[in-house]
Parts: sequence; C-alpha cells; structure tokens
Amino acid sequence: MSREKLSGAEIVIEELKDEGVEVAFGIPGGVLLDLYDVIYKQDAIRHILMRHEQCAAHAADGYARVSGRTGVCIATSGPGATNLVTGLANASMDSVPVVALTGQVVTSAIGTNAFQEASTFTITMPVTKHNFLVKRTEDLPKVIHNAFHIASTGRKGVVLVDLPKDVLADVAKVNLHPKETFAGYKPNIKPNKVQTKKTAETLATAERPLILAGGGVISSNATEELRSLAELLGAGVVTTLMGKGAIPEDHPLCLGMAGMHGHVYANRAINECDALLALGTRFSDRLTAWQLDQFAPDATMIHVDIDTAEINKNIQVDIPIVGDVKLALDDILKWLEKHKKLGGKSVWMQRIKEMHSACDECIKDVKRAGTSLSDMFVKELNRILDDDAVITTEVGQCQMFAAHYYMTKRPRRFITSGGLGTMGFGFPAAIGAQVGAPDNKVVDIAGDGSFLMTCQDLATCVENDIPVVVCILDNRYLGMVRQWQELFFDKKYSHTGLGLTPDFVKLAEAFGCYAERVEKPEGLKDVLGNAFKSGKPAVIDLIVGKDDKILPMIPPGGGIMGMIGTERCKHI
Amino acid sequence: MQTHIVSLLVEDRPGVLTRMSGMFTMRGINITSLTVSPCEKKGLSRMTVAIKGTESEVEKVRKQLSNLIEVVKVVDLRAAEAIICDLCLLKVHTKDSEVRLEVMQLAQSYGAKIMDAALDSVILELTEEPMKIDRFVDLMQHFGVKQLFRTGVTAIGRGAGGG
Ligand SMILES: Cc1cc2nc3c(=O)[nH]c(=O)nc-3n(C[C@H](O)[C@H](O)[C@H](O)COP(=O)(O)OP(=O)(O)OC[C@H]3O[C@@H](n4cnc5c(N)ncnc54)[C@H](O)[C@@H]3O)c2cc1C
Ligand SMILES: Cc1ncc(C[n+]2csc(CCOP(=O)(O)OP(=O)(O)O)c2C)c(N)n1
Repeated sequence: MSREKLSGAEIVIEELKDEGVEVAFGIPGGVLLDLYDVIYKQDAIRHILMRHEQCAAHAADGYARVSGRTGVCIATSGPGATNLVTGLANASMDSVPVVALTGQVVTSAIGTNAFQEASTFTITMPVTKHNFLVKRTEDLPKVIHNAFHIASTGRKGVVLVDLPKDVLADVAKVNLHPKETFAGYKPNIKPNKVQTKKTAETLATAERPLILAGGGVISSNATEELRSLAELLGAGVVTTLMGKGAIPEDHPLCLGMAGMHGHVYANRAINECDALLALGTRFSDRLTAWQLDQFAPDATMIHVDIDTAEINKNIQVDIPIVGDVKLALDDILKWLEKHKKLGGKSVWMQRIKEMHSACDECIKDVKRAGTSLSDMFVKELNRILDDDAVITTEVGQCQMFAAHYYMTKRPRRFITSGGLGTMGFGFPAAIGAQVGAPDNKVVDIAGDGSFLMTCQDLATCVENDIPVVVCILDNRYLGMVRQWQELFFDKKYSHTGLGLTPDFVKLAEAFGCYAERVEKPEGLKDVLGNAFKSGKPAVIDLIVGKDDKILPMIPPGGGIMGMIGTERCKHI
Repeated sequence: MQTHIVSLLVEDRPGVLTRMSGMFTMRGINITSLTVSPCEKKGLSRMTVAIKGTESEVEKVRKQLSNLIEVVKVVDLRAAEAIICDLCLLKVHTKDSEVRLEVMQLAQSYGAKIMDAALDSVILELTEEPMKIDRFVDLMQHFGVKQLFRTGVTAIGRGAGGG
C-alpha cells in the first residue's frame, strides 16, 4: 500500500472499513467532531445514534453475539467514556469481541483535569482485553488493525482505543492496512494431539460420557462438531447459560442448562457421569455451585479452553487441552472415526433420553400444576416464536425463566448477560442483534426493573426502524432479589418493591412504539402477532405475579444435587 | 507461602507497569519488590517481581500475566536455578571512632563497600542475595540504622534457563 496523507479521523474510518465494519453504535461529542465529520462524508459504515453510551456498548455487544463479527461502539471523552464502562465490562466478562473508540482531550492537556477529561485508559484497563491510548496520528493504522485482531482472536474480548482530539485532527503520511501484530500476542489455538488422543480414548471407553458445552463452543462456531461427537458417542450434553444454543435444546441427547438455575436432570447427569468433556467453559460458581464434591465426583475431567489461565482455575482437571474447541473436536472426531472403539453405552443413553423427556414434558406443558404466570408466558413464547428468532434477556427472574423455559434451537439466538449480570442489557443488546440479523424476529424477555434502566433507547429504535419487541414480565418488583428475600431472608422485602411503576404501554406509545398489555398467557399469541405486523418497535407488558418464583434452584452454599423447589419436576 | 520471583519480558510502553501490577492487585497479591530496567533487546524491558504466595496462586498469576498483550515472556524463577541479587544502601550511626571502626570491619567481612564516611555516620553498599542482606541489615541495626534503601531483587536464570 502506498503512503497516503490523511487526517487521523480519516485513517480511523479507512481502517474500520478495511476490517469490514458495517455498523457502529455511538454518541458524538466535542473531541469527536473530526471523526464524526468523516463519518458524515461516507456511507460504507452505518452509524446508529444511541441515547446512552451504555446502550451503545450493549448494542455493539448484542450485534457481535448474533453475527459473530466484532461490534463497534463510539463515545466521547469524559462522561461518554465512563458511561461506556458497564457495557465494556459486560462484554469482557462474556468474552464478546467489541472494539470501543473513545475521544480524548488533546494530548497536551492530558492529565490537567481538562474539560471532559477522564483517564479512560486507566479506568478501562480492568474491563478490557487490551486498550490503547494513541499519542501519534501515524500510529493509528497499526493500532486500529491490532484492536480488531486482538478483539476477534484467541479468547475474544473488548479492545478500547482512546483517541485524543489532536491525534484525530492532525494529518500524517501513513501506510494504510498494516498487517504487523504484537510480539507478546500469540493466542494458543492448536490443541495438543497427545491430549486430544487421550481424550478420544477416554470418551470411547467411558460408560457414561457427558459433554458440558460452554460459551466457547458458540464463540468458535463448533456447534456442528459438538452435535456429531455427542451422536457418535451417545453422550449426553448439558450447557452453561452461555452455551445455550450450542446444541438444539430439543435434541434427545440434550439435557439443557446446568447450574444454580439449571434443569434438575442436567445437574444430575453431571453428578452421574464417568467422563466429563467440558468445552469452552470457565466453570463459574453459578454452574458448579459450592459443594464441589457433588460436581462430577466419579468422572475423568477433560477441559478444552483457549485460555491457559482457565485451566485448573476453578476445577482441577485430569486432561487439560489448551486450544480452540472446534479444532479439538475435529481431532477427537477424527480419532474416534478412525479407531471405532466405542464401548457399549446403551444403558446410559437410555437414562439420558429418560432425563431429557422429563424436562421436555415440563417445558411443553404450559398449564402444568403449580406453574406461575411468568413460566406460562415464556412457555407460550417458546411455542409462538420460530427457531431463528433471537431472544435477548434482561437480568433477574425474567432471565432465568427465559433460560429455563425457552428452548433455544440454534447458536447465537439466545443472548444474555451471563458473567456480569447487567440489568438493562437485554434491550440495547436486542437493538444490536436486530441490526446484525435484520430478517429475524428479536424479542427481549425483560423485567420491569431492568427495562427502566435503559428504556430511553426506544427512541433509537423508532428513529432507525429497529423493530425489536420487548416483552416485560411485569411483577412490580426487583423479582430476583425479592425471591431471595422470600426464601432466605424471612420475607423481609427490603427495597425490592418498585411501587408505582410507570404505565409501560403509555410510556412506549409516547416514544412512538406499538404497545399492548396482556394479562393472560393465551392472549400473547395475537398480541405478539400484531406487534410483528405493525413493523414497529414494540413493548408488550405481561402482567405476572409478584410471588412467581423461578424454581428449582440451588440455594447459596449448596451443591448441584441440592436443588430446592423440585416439587413440580417429574421424578424419575 | 513462599517468595517467588517472576521475571517478565515486556514491551517498553506507558501503561505496562499499571497493567501488570493491576493483575496482582486483582488477585489480592502483595508485591514484595519490583525492578524494571532496559534489557538486551531493543524496545523491551525486563521486570523482576518478588511476591509471596502459594504455588497455585503464583501459577494462576503467571498464566494471567502471560495473557497480557505487552508481556512477551513470563518465567517463574526458582531460587535454586537462578542468581538472585539485591542492592542495599545503609546509613549507619557511628557515635564514636570505636564504633566506626567496628562498623567498617563488619562491613568489610560482608563484602560491603564504604561509600561515604562522616563523623557520626557511614554509608555502606552491599549487593548480595536478599537473605544475606537481611542478615547484614540486622547486624547493623545493632548500631542504629538511620536510613535503609534496597532496590529489590533482580534475578537471572542459570545456564540456558530463565527469562
Ligand atoms: C441471575 C443469573 C443466574 C445464572 N445462573 C446460571 C446457571 O444456573 N447456570 C450457568 O451455567 N450459568 C448461570 N449464570 C451465568 C454465569 O454467571 C456465567 O456467565 C456462565 O456460567 C458462564 O458460562 P461459560 O463458562 O460457558 O461461558 P463464558 O463465560 O462465555 O466463558 C467461555 C469460556 O470459553 C473459553 N473460550 C472462548 N472461546 C474459545 C474457543 N474458541 N475455544 C476454546 N475455548 C474458548 C473462554 O476462555 C472461557 O473460559 C447465571 C447468571 C446470572 C446473571
Ligand atoms: C445494574 C444492576 N443492578 C443491580 C443488580 C442486582 N439485581 C439482580 S436481579 C435484580 C432484580 C431485577 O429485577 P427485574 O428487572 O424487575 O427482573 P425480575 O427479577 O423481576 O424478573 C437486581 C436488582 C443487577 N444485576 N444489575
């Protein structure tokens, strides 16, 4: 590439285009005027003006999760950048590829408490995989290229580039599109063959093999390989919250999500298996619970993870494999197909199928005795929406009702804040998801508390024709916290009542959205149909009970065999 | 809990030290000493960090440090396989000539250099392995140490090993 004379802002946009960026979510500000001037003059990159920077980050995050591409968000210096922080922390925790561009005061003013100055570089260090403070215009090509390279390879993550006003305004002669990377960045991709062979042998001879699929399976697009391996072995599959969709949840070998709010039989399978192949999961405490002696006590533990630091971090394993899930599964499948030494697993397969049916029955039975309105609404959604619909969730009971009762059939179609548990994530993530998957239906399963944290971006949806549908499980409470107060704090409901919540229908209408209230689950289908038909962004207020509880669950301190509230589950 | 010496080869850029020390802070590990200096490779620096922690704690930080983009290499240097040095500067109170003589003799027996001498104090320098410096300092406390400066350890792996 020949040397070109460009302004910093022009270089940034040229590099974004070269990285294949098609959309950015952002809000401008004083120090970003040069950048926005260049954005104005081009149309290769769509810019969506958000109404809060936190939403810009969540939208980029949702876009990335749905599309598998890197999401981009933009915020100005000072308050713009600090508003981004929650969104960046959220994407970081769930290893989502996002590049954030922030404006910064002129280099000569850095460190002087200049107007709208915040030390974005130090503030965001702990919530990013890497960050840059660019001091010279000529460094921009390499920095932007590496921001995308680092965000989208290895364990994916967030990279922030802080751009001082003068760096954007100054003109420099540069070589665009450099390919040079950093010496210290060499992600471990290729799994060790000795380890994958050992794994294949272990799985072949195991009597009760189980696969635990985490977020890494979806991130590495290894869902086909996962399914092939499960079917070849006759292994059961359980997932983490982040792994939801790694295998169709109606697959007879799938037992659904395990963990604190998981399915009873997913947890039981973990307890019963004799070989556990954990793929792309970081064994969070929500998954393993706290009595670790109940977590796969008889199993040979195998852990595939691209991040060495995750191996033996929370759970000690017998066979560690550092590398990409897809490549590891390829190796394991090849070995098994070549050697065809599969032991008899028919008893176990029978057991898996029985366990699968027990949960399946419950999910499909909308009016099961003891079922709450919240359960029923989600079970209805499950029946109404097609397999390609994208579900996003807020955080709390609503999220766990969705995780528990919504059957995800495809990867990248269940989008939730797993690690950080950020209330207010689901709606802006739905905006990003809708932009990344314009032909799919996108539904945010929300709580009333969460939705109020980011609902101002309804304006963004209306303005940009982004027809997401928000279904609020409206219980007038911070339900999840209330549930804990009910179960573990003597029903002392300290500050969980939301009191006079707004009329969500009027609120949404004020923004120009389609809106309706539904009191009976049977009514949902028509209203949802109307919402989709309207082609507008929509808010559907689902009235549910304040006492609705998401059960069963593992109480704090318990183990995966100690779920409470299993009365409604089928006992086998 | 044992002292571990972690040797890092890092890119010489602003923010690297913050990023690196943030990793220890996040895990609640206290840094006993830290040295940073240029090294034989252009654009890279070497950091030597002494930390107290269990084997598994240190292993976890080591892995996380190696994840940092600007960290090119991390080595956990074992005492037996490394040469470890610390430098100390001491200002010792010498109330009369008799004491001064005694201090100077002891200093000599430790191989410490006398950098400066005034009527009521001497300044000594000793470069040694940390334990020996500890003993020397303890000894000098007997006379009254007015000021003590230590650089913290730096270390190099023996033979082919090390960072
Ligand atoms: C209210 C609430 C309740 C929750 N309850 C539960 C629950 O009951 N059960 C549950 O499971 N979770 C639950 N969670 C979510 C939980 O907090 C964690 O976010 C989740 O368990 C993490 O899943 P994970 O380890 O699969 O995925 P991630 O956190 O996404 O981790 C992915 C892992 O895969 C690795 N990886 C990434 N890419 C690759 C690749 N290409 N190849 C190999 N490895 C790769 C990463 O290094 C990382 O270790 C809950 C969250 C909330 C907010
Ligand atoms: C930003 C943020 N603040 C606080 C919390 C703690 N928290 C977790 S769940 C929850 C209640 C969520 O209420 P709501 O959105 O109404 O959903 P519900 O549980 O009622 O379905 C709270 C306050 C959080 N996860 N995120």
